[in-house]
Amino acid sequence: MSTSAVSFASAAWDMAAPPRSLWRDAWARLRRNRLAKLCLAVVALYVVLALAGFTPHLQRAASEMRYDSYELPSWRAVGLWLGADHLGRSVLWRLLYGTRIALTVAVSACLISIFVGTTLGLIAGYFGRWIDSLVIWLFSTVNSVPAILLMIAMAYALQGFETLKDRLSGMPIVVLALGLTGWVGLCRLIRGEVMRHRERDYVVAARAAGAGHLRIMFRHILPNVFHLIIIDFSLGMVGCVQAEVALAFLGLGITDRPSWGRMIDDAKLELLRGVWWQVAAATAAIFILCLALNILGDALRDALDPRLRGTD
Amino acid sequence: MWAYIVRRIFWTVPTVLGVVLLTFTLFSLVSRDPARQYAGKFVSEEVLQSIRHKMGVDKPAFLNFAAARQRGVAGLLDSQFFDVLLFRFPESMRYEQPVWSIFARKIPVSLAIQVPVFVVALGLELGLALICAAGRGRWPDYTITVLAVVGLSLPALSIYLAAQWFFGAYLELFPVAGWDTGAGAVRFAALPILVSVVASLGGGTRFYRTVAVDEIYSDYVRTARAKGVAEREVLLTHVLRNVLIPVITNTLASLPALVLGALFLERIFQIPGMGGLIVEAIFNQDRPVVMAAVYVISVAYCIMLLITDICYALVDPRVSLR
Repeated sequence: MSTSAVSFASAAWDMAAPPRSLWRDAWARLRRNRLAKLCLAVVALYVVLALAGFTPHLQRAASEMRYDSYELPSWRAVGLWLGADHLGRSVLWRLLYGTRIALTVAVSACLISIFVGTTLGLIAGYFGRWIDSLVIWLFSTVNSVPAILLMIAMAYALQGFETLKDRLSGMPIVVLALGLTGWVGLCRLIRGEVMRHRERDYVVAARAAGAGHLRIMFRHILPNVFHLIIIDFSLGMVGCVQAEVALAFLGLGITDRPSWGRMIDDAKLELLRGVWWQVAAATAAIFILCLALNILGDALRDALDPRLRGTD
Repeated sequence: MWAYIVRRIFWTVPTVLGVVLLTFTLFSLVSRDPARQYAGKFVSEEVLQSIRHKMGVDKPAFLNFAAARQRGVAGLLDSQFFDVLLFRFPESMRYEQPVWSIFARKIPVSLAIQVPVFVVALGLELGLALICAAGRGRWPDYTITVLAVVGLSLPALSIYLAAQWFFGAYLELFPVAGWDTGAGAVRFAALPILVSVVASLGGGTRFYRTVAVDEIYSDYVRTARAKGVAEREVLLTHVLRNVLIPVITNTLASLPALVLGALFLERIFQIPGMGGLIVEAIFNQDRPVVMAAVYVISVAYCIMLLITDICYALVDPRVSLR
């Protein structure tokens, strides 16, 4: 990835220094940003917690009804630190299990939207002409349906597939609905960026050396637009986590597993009866993750911006 | 410029067709037996057939050749696809009324909430963004930016629920939920409007801040300062004017969303608007209403994007040269 036009350009600033890659530069800049490091640690913590959600021990603890209905938070037992829900299940364990669901959904949905957006953007920007027009038509069509409506319509339509609905508690539906709506922004960005790279010297050189279209697109141009994907991933995760809550509220989300969205959804009736711990826990979990991802996304944008290279 | 405008209008046609195709594909091809989905597993074939007729899904998908023999072209176009394209939606399954009359009843209610929210939020966002830009890198900028990111990271649903509980149930300042006709609605609308403004402030402020900060570093601002224009004047005439261009694009495009209302806000505060209607229709499997709402709002959105682009071209002549 390091042999790109960008690193040639930066080497030209200082011929004596060893060539620096965009990624090493970005990493160095990110490491100097204390807040970004903290946020990275927070996200890493969530990933570890999500992985813990895959252990059978936590799965059992999250579904066990061993406390009283709506038992108040107390120090009596670890499971009661965040109280119990209406069936007497530990909110803490359900919250941790929900981390797994939230991250699985968000990461898979983001991967889908990144795959679709990147592929279409690369193809459109590289080939131009009618392929470009087709892709523009595709994304302006998808963009014409307000995102929340498209998501709802997609989740609603996919409910008809019994197999999707029954398998994995409807998670495939949520993932598809989020993934297939979220690709437009990235596609547009990548298309524009690839169009600027298409006639660059390194692409012309690769073509002259006999590289095929696929090789040029994925091996030469893609690394040069990859920073867009990373930023989109970070900010796209925020959108997915929040959208999962929205779908859960509409009953189109995950059905019989503890998810943050369902925990907030339950609060519709609970909060007026004074049961605040479940919604507070889920909100805090979402808030901290989204805050970290938002700040990290901004920091990544600054760190990866090629225009800012060499300014510090 | 006129060439650009005409080209842009022509470009809207395939987009609208694309939206029809998308809506139609999602609702007809993906959910293959909506009647079964609506009625459940244990109904007789006759009941199912009558539900299919009510939903309009007993017609052929694209072209109705059977009806064409009797009624000509009008019969040929009596298919599911053209029903969507020509805005001929079946009656609501739950209300047993045409979707249009339901929409006509619900839209004014949504607007009563959304228009004040829109105006107040836009004013506040612009004001805060200019304050940020004026004091960039100092405490007002930091405070506002941090608050905006905090607001962006909170799930809107939690904000609504917390506000409903705190102001409605705990302090009893506002009614918890409900609606009234005429002037009585003000009492019920106040809290949802307030909450909605707060919940929506983060994104806009951050966006306009970026725009305003970009503008502040541009040459014309430096020129204005150099010739001795007061900082206040620079901000309010020079910068604000140029910030207004992205404001136009952003706001015009969001106008159809006003009709859509806030899905969750209306559901939580029991406001009988479009958003609440759509949520309720999803719960009731009221396919005609969901489909009509998605399609009508999307087409409105397409038209608004068109108007936005034309306005953009009128404001900024560089656009039409591309």
